[in-house]
Amino acid sequence: MSPKTEQRKERRSLVPPPVALGMSVIVPGMGQILAGEIQRGLLLIGSFASIIGLSVWRFVLLANGVTGALPIYLKSFSRRPELVIILTLLMVALYVWNFLDAWKQAKKKKRGGAGIFVVIIALFFALGWQISQIDVYKAVTKFPEALQPLSRVLWPWKAAITYRTKELTATAPILVGDVGTAPPAPVKQEGKPYLISEPTRGHLSTLDSQNEVVPGTLLHLRGSGFRPDTETQIWWIDPLGNRFRPRQGGKYTSVMTDANGEFTFDLTMPYRLMPPSAVGPQLHKVEAEQSQRVGGPIASEPLRVTIERMIETIIMGMMATLFGIILSIPVSFLAARNLMSGSWITMAIYFITRTIMNIVRSIEPLIWALIAVVWVGLGPFAGIVALTLHSVAALGKLYSEAIEGIDPGPIEAIQATGATKLQTIVHAVVPQMIPPFVSFSIYRWDINVRMSTVIGLVGGGGVGFILVQYIRLLDYRAAGIAVWFIALTVSILDYVSAQIRARFV
Amino acid sequence: MLEVQHLTKVYPDGTVALRDVSFTVPDGEFLVIIGLSGSGKSTLLRCINRLVEPTEGTVLLDGADVTLAQSQELRRIRRKIGMIFQHFNLVKRSSVMANVLAGRLGYVNPLGSLAHRFPPEDRKRAIATLERFGIADQARKRADELSGGQQQRVGIARALMQEPTLMLADEPVASLDPVLAHTILGYLERINRESKITVLCSLHYLDLVQRYATSVIGLREGKIVYRGSSKDIKEMTDQQFKEIYGEEAERVSAGPTIRGDE
Repeated sequence: MSPKTEQRKERRSLVPPPVALGMSVIVPGMGQILAGEIQRGLLLIGSFASIIGLSVWRFVLLANGVTGALPIYLKSFSRRPELVIILTLLMVALYVWNFLDAWKQAKKKKRGGAGIFVVIIALFFALGWQISQIDVYKAVTKFPEALQPLSRVLWPWKAAITYRTKELTATAPILVGDVGTAPPAPVKQEGKPYLISEPTRGHLSTLDSQNEVVPGTLLHLRGSGFRPDTETQIWWIDPLGNRFRPRQGGKYTSVMTDANGEFTFDLTMPYRLMPPSAVGPQLHKVEAEQSQRVGGPIASEPLRVTIERMIETIIMGMMATLFGIILSIPVSFLAARNLMSGSWITMAIYFITRTIMNIVRSIEPLIWALIAVVWVGLGPFAGIVALTLHSVAALGKLYSEAIEGIDPGPIEAIQATGATKLQTIVHAVVPQMIPPFVSFSIYRWDINVRMSTVIGLVGGGGVGFILVQYIRLLDYRAAGIAVWFIALTVSILDYVSAQIRARFV
Repeated sequence: MLEVQHLTKVYPDGTVALRDVSFTVPDGEFLVIIGLSGSGKSTLLRCINRLVEPTEGTVLLDGADVTLAQSQELRRIRRKIGMIFQHFNLVKRSSVMANVLAGRLGYVNPLGSLAHRFPPEDRKRAIATLERFGIADQARKRADELSGGQQQRVGIARALMQEPTLMLADEPVASLDPVLAHTILGYLERINRESKITVLCSLHYLDLVQRYATSVIGLREGKIVYRGSSKDIKEMTDQQFKEIYGEEAERVSAGPTIRGDE
């Protein structure tokens, strides 16, 4: 910077202050350029151009279809008055300040002054606020909407357990249509649940031409032989065997049995779209079902799947670390300056290795996973490939720096004892390499497990894969279980790796 | 007996570190090499065990030509030459015991030593050597947990494990305070007198040179500019010392009398 500062002192304004002012009135920043402040002038021109460009873009979007400069401005004002006022005031202030600044710059006495750039930055942030659609009002007022998913994610354990159930069912056949003989009532068997419908034939609900529901026949259901005082669900089974639960008055059909295990229920035959080819009598069924818990609580499917995927995730991280270590050791020798400084060929290899490593490392593992999914298909292997690539680059750099940092003193001392080359490596080089190698490898394992939890988001397998599925299914409790396991694993791993590293370094 | 004849060292970058250096050290001497930093002291010491390859000249140790020795012969010669360093050059993260045992590498079965296995008598010898320097209780510690003075004692112990006939000491006390300097040099003196090991030592301080040297050579820009006996050096004034040695020379206040084993 210092040579520039000296140059600035010698720089003379090419024009007198009034001309500079005038030029800046016409083209903002031009006066500053003519006053010899070329960088400042270019910065002002660039800022003005981008601010005007951004404003036009956002105003046209806000005005939505209106044409003409003034109508666009007025429409924008009517939609977001506070924004338009702030932007207008700042722009006018900037414009005025710009030509006053040109005057000041052209007078040789005192140059510089960063105030004008504060206004420019304020303008960019005001535009940025609009471009990024920040809506504090919405964030505050709509916060309650987030409470339900949030509470489910934070405390998902209700979905972690489930029970085995035993179903107690009885069915009664119903003939739909006017042809055919009505089926007989089922034979009652002692000790088994029994369901009878009155009548046993009727019409389904239909839709008329106005899409209004025409209610079907009312069935009078009587059940017995069920468990007493228990909720009993009524299901409908069509001739194809599809089972569904009708609703009445917006609620799923269900009834409580009385103290004798009996119930009565009136069911309007539901709406069922039958294919036009279905002609003739159709035998539907109505079913009453009680389900009963059997045995103690067991792990629910989301819990089991999450644990399985978590194990898969940790193993993905381990595999990627192992492959990373194996592959990065030879790479690290090629990238160690002290080993490669022999000739221009080795130096060329050094630079090429370093460059490739820097490129591979600068691409996030998530992006590598996208490529790996195309390469080896969905699943944990894709994740391993992605993490391995990134690990090789990252570990290669760390290892090569460890090699560069080796103290030559002990090597010399061991050589002086009459040791062979191999003995020197084992007794002077390896002891110096092991601690950083172990430390970096553990650190990388830590990173890899953490990364493999998210690499599933793009199809790389592991817990992230099911997490994104649960989120898309809006199953916040199941997602919460996955989040909890990720958090637990990562914090345990953090602690463990810190402990191991503390012992080695 | 060590004979150095017409030794010259030119580094690849063209630096001439030694110019035609010749001297003879009879057995049992405590030869001190003095000279400015960069005057060639370290290079000279390293040419004797060929950690640095001399460009020209001959080094004869007890009649054997060090400069011509091939790899196996060279290792056999090297194991008879102990060396200690200004920065101790211990393997910092290895244990004191491992560092001391490394002194036996020239003797043991190479395959066993790769697995860090040493014969039991070597382990006994290592313990005995550490006891001699009063640091046997530190044997299991990591080398970098020890103080500077203790580390240099480990360095001497490692060199003694070689059962050397010659000990090279490259500014062994330059990183230590004056009290410790006397302690360390006291050990070297005892090794020199009791075990009849010839010592070649580079030093910076006139007091120390006067106190320990049995003979002295002065180096300046790679050439020997002074040779003297212990008597000569004791009569030397600071002014003379500075003339050979350069402006860096400083007299340190006389240290306390040498402590024995602690």
